[in-house]
Amino acid sequence: MPGQSFHFTPALPLSAQPLPYLTFLGRAGFSGFPSPAQDYEPCTLDLNIRLVKNPTQTFYVTATGNSMEGWGIFEGDLLIVDRGIEPRLGHILVAMLEGEALIKRYALYQGTPHLCSTHPHYPPLPLEGSDCQLWGVVRAVIHEYVR
Amino acid sequence: MIGLVDANNFYVSCERVFQPKLEGKPVGVMSNNDGCVIARSAELKALDIPMGTPAFKLEWLRQRGEIHLLSSNYELYGDMSARLAQLLRDACPEIAPYSIDEMFVYLEGFTTEQCEALGRKLRQRIRRHLGLPVCVGLAPTHTLAKLANHLAKQDPHYEGVCLLSGQDHTTEALLKRTPVGSVWGVGRRLAERLAIGDINTAWDLRESDEKWLRKRFSVVLARTALELRGTSCLEMNALDQPRQRIMTSRSFGQPTGVFTEVHNALRRHAQRSAEKLREQGSMARAVMVFLNTNRHRRDQPQYFPQALIPLPSPSDDTRVILDAVRQGLEQIHRPRFRFMKAGVMLLDLVDAKEHQLSLLHPPARDRHPFLMATVDQINQRMGQGTINFGMTDAPAAWQLRCAHRSNRFTTRWDELMKVGTHPGAVAAAEAKEQQRKQQTLASAKRVTQPRA
Repeated sequence: MPGQSFHFTPALPLSAQPLPYLTFLGRAGFSGFPSPAQDYEPCTLDLNIRLVKNPTQTFYVTATGNSMEGWGIFEGDLLIVDRGIEPRLGHILVAMLEGEALIKRYALYQGTPHLCSTHPHYPPLPLEGSDCQLWGVVRAVIHEYVR
Repeated sequence: MIGLVDANNFYVSCERVFQPKLEGKPVGVMSNNDGCVIARSAELKALDIPMGTPAFKLEWLRQRGEIHLLSSNYELYGDMSARLAQLLRDACPEIAPYSIDEMFVYLEGFTTEQCEALGRKLRQRIRRHLGLPVCVGLAPTHTLAKLANHLAKQDPHYEGVCLLSGQDHTTEALLKRTPVGSVWGVGRRLAERLAIGDINTAWDLRESDEKWLRKRFSVVLARTALELRGTSCLEMNALDQPRQRIMTSRSFGQPTGVFTEVHNALRRHAQRSAEKLREQGSMARAVMVFLNTNRHRRDQPQYFPQALIPLPSPSDDTRVILDAVRQGLEQIHRPRFRFMKAGVMLLDLVDAKEHQLSLLHPPARDRHPFLMATVDQINQRMGQGTINFGMTDAPAAWQLRCAHRSNRFTTRWDELMKVGTHPGAVAAAEAKEQQRKQQTLASAKRVTQPRA
């Protein structure tokens, strides 16, 4: 309680506590073998640096559905979506179509740009004349085998 | 040149980034505890639903599916705001966040044309990279930048970017039709007092004599008038200084009069306040505890007590503050009242580094700076409330009501946005999930039936 003085009892009797002294002992001459890796700055690999180029514009989403399995995107996979990349043909995109976000491959089909999947049930969606909007470009897919 | 980047309907826009089906629909975000509407989309504004409308009045509209009401999702808004600030920091020489959705950018040494071009580029980039619609106001001073931003929002002709040079005809015309109460830093009361002095518009204020304003009103108002003339003299650094008081308060999900329940809520608020205190490197000299009953329930006895407990010496130790909170609550708690709200305020803050140790009043407790720092670190890394001080954490009445909160798409791995590989995939998966849940429920019932 504030106002009352608080009595602190040390766990050990004072005489049993170690006296402060320098733990670093200077030694003259050769001391041990120097590490051969001393001159090489350690820099552990970081997946963030490889997969997330623009942290502010990068978002993670989860894939649902089976129609992109041909491109290696399975149900429940984690997608790293970068909104800062300009889309090019061949990129896999997250696109907004009629109030729904979809994962599709941006590619030419019969000479015009379409959003394609690899499932025969879902034909390519033409981009011309649709109100499709780009959400982001999929930079990488993470498929975890062991969770 | 100073620019003000302000997101349009920030909370709603954040929700829409991850829920495209909300695009073009009337959407509102409710306050903590789903009390009232605190953010509205343009479509909701068009329905003439004012700010602060109690949520229960809109429940029928929500149930009919005509409007969408969401609980506030501060984790999401905070993260998007941090991203917005970072994006601006990458593009501009200097920035100063002003609130969760407003950031000032400082563009010194740019020509007017360059500033306007940069403003357009920023607006485009934020829309594209973060999905947030923003407006940019550019002007020589903070006060004018704020007005320019307002104009950019109101007038579609500007396409979201408005530059006021401070001397041109646009500025004059704008100031002449802006009521003085809309000027940054002029409140309603001050506007009423100004109206007596025949100052009704921002232009009137600009043309007033500076000395007279200073004598009759305040230095700040005189500076505001100067700012309207295009001379920058209000500093933003006032915001960077540590706050002078810290408050954490919440409404209870259900009113309660039970001592332990109120105490638990206050303990949580105290811990959060202490965390904020340490974050800004301050110490508190006093702790205030307050309780409110529901003032709208005329049929119930009313009681709005508060207790101020001075600390023997400035402290940032959660345990000391918790002690004070308990003392305060014991002083003011009366079991026959049903309390609606409880809060903890830390007052008379001092800088932890500048604080002088007193010879006569040694610290009340052996301070453990490492203990507090460790607790803060763990809570930061593992999520708030991982380590608590003696909490019983049963879902109590005071816990937040947030029935309609969207997922925390950017801060929780298990709440990411779901994207389908074909139209209807997400809806199908959700239906399946629902079915699975019902089946497990049904099978659970089947198991219990034979026993009965």
